[in-house]
Amino acid sequence: MSSPRSQKPLELILARNLLTSISTPAFLLDADAAVVFYNEAAAAVLGRSFEEAGRMSSEQWTETFGPFGKDGAPLDVDGMATTEAIRAGRPAHGTFTIRAANGERISIEASAFPIVASEHGSSGAMILFWPLSENGGGG
Amino acid sequence: MQVKVWGARGSVPAPGPHMNRYGGNTSCVQVTLAGGEELILDAGTGIRTAGIDLQRGRRIHILLTHLHLDHIQGLMFFPPCFRADTEITIWGPASPEASLEDRIARYISAPLSPVEVRELPCSVSFRDTPVTEWELGGATIRAEAVTHRGPTLGYRLIDGETTLAYVPDHEPALGASLAALEPEWISGFDLARGADLLIHDCQYADDEYPAHAGWGHSGLSDTLTFARRVEARRLLLFHHDPLHSDEFLDDFGATAKQAWQTLGRDATELELGMEGSELSVGPPVPAVHA
Repeated sequence: MSSPRSQKPLELILARNLLTSISTPAFLLDADAAVVFYNEAAAAVLGRSFEEAGRMSSEQWTETFGPFGKDGAPLDVDGMATTEAIRAGRPAHGTFTIRAANGERISIEASAFPIVASEHGSSGAMILFWPLSENGGGG
Repeated sequence: MQVKVWGARGSVPAPGPHMNRYGGNTSCVQVTLAGGEELILDAGTGIRTAGIDLQRGRRIHILLTHLHLDHIQGLMFFPPCFRADTEITIWGPASPEASLEDRIARYISAPLSPVEVRELPCSVSFRDTPVTEWELGGATIRAEAVTHRGPTLGYRLIDGETTLAYVPDHEPALGASLAALEPEWISGFDLARGADLLIHDCQYADDEYPAHAGWGHSGLSDTLTFARRVEARRLLLFHHDPLHSDEFLDDFGATAKQAWQTLGRDATELELGMEGSELSVGPPVPAVHA
């Protein structure tokens, strides 16, 4: 009796385990750029737990949480330099504005690390972020 | 499917008068498929005695979960390696760093060994396990990476209606809550799901585990929770700590059976791996209705 493969790649499982254990806000993308997990520290910033939100496609994520440009308009995530870098298997860093569940706009600084398995290539990315304080420093 | 345990010890061989019943040899399990083909899972020191009785001139497949010494140490003493009429295929995890042959040759070469791989009289070949399922001796095999230190595989063998899962080195609870996590986020879940027999790491008692978290092995409660979540029909606790004597393991087994019952399961479904033990594995027998 054969069975279909439904399990996440081990490197994503281990990344989730790591993010669960740290107090830096972070989320995890799969190879389709869907948000498949974010940790409690990120939930505290976003104002919604991952258990409530569940898996979100990149479009759902953008619609709900952003990011937004300086003019307040939603950014085209596909066209962002950071997205292109992750797709190319390179790390990326940037400053963005996101919107918490209560509508509050929050400036963040984010670092993204692609997760590339030797066996089957890209599995996704791990993104750690820090809310910026009003004077521009890490909060 | 017949399963014979040739070595159930973990980490390092542990011979001695207090280890005689469960045995001191490291990981090795022989699987005889319904069609008579034989597969050998891991090449710990148990493979030496397994090789003595293997028929000459047969093609032998050895499936390695990983290359830690307790899983390959017996290779150099495996009698069929020294028979010119034997073909051996060794399967193991791929690595971007070096081929499987080159990595194993680090052990079977000077100064650790008096012989080199190329000097072995048998015909031996090395194969990275495929990413997808493949066929061996009439069985369907799946290998997947699991949580352990270094690149490590677990295996799922499907022979007709019978499924065996072999995950001897595994710490799925590291940084994770096995009881609550969705199946897709549990290491090894798909490999072990619904297995007629799950052979799984259970190196530590619960009070020993915290001091060994992150070492790549499981404590008793985590092993039982994993087995319950994957709905394994039978469970063989494996990879015994080298410090665990026969007396300790007797008590450990009783504790395990009690805990398994607490999880709503039947104590007869659980056993401890014991060197020389043989198990007949088959699918559930359908209920007969009058």
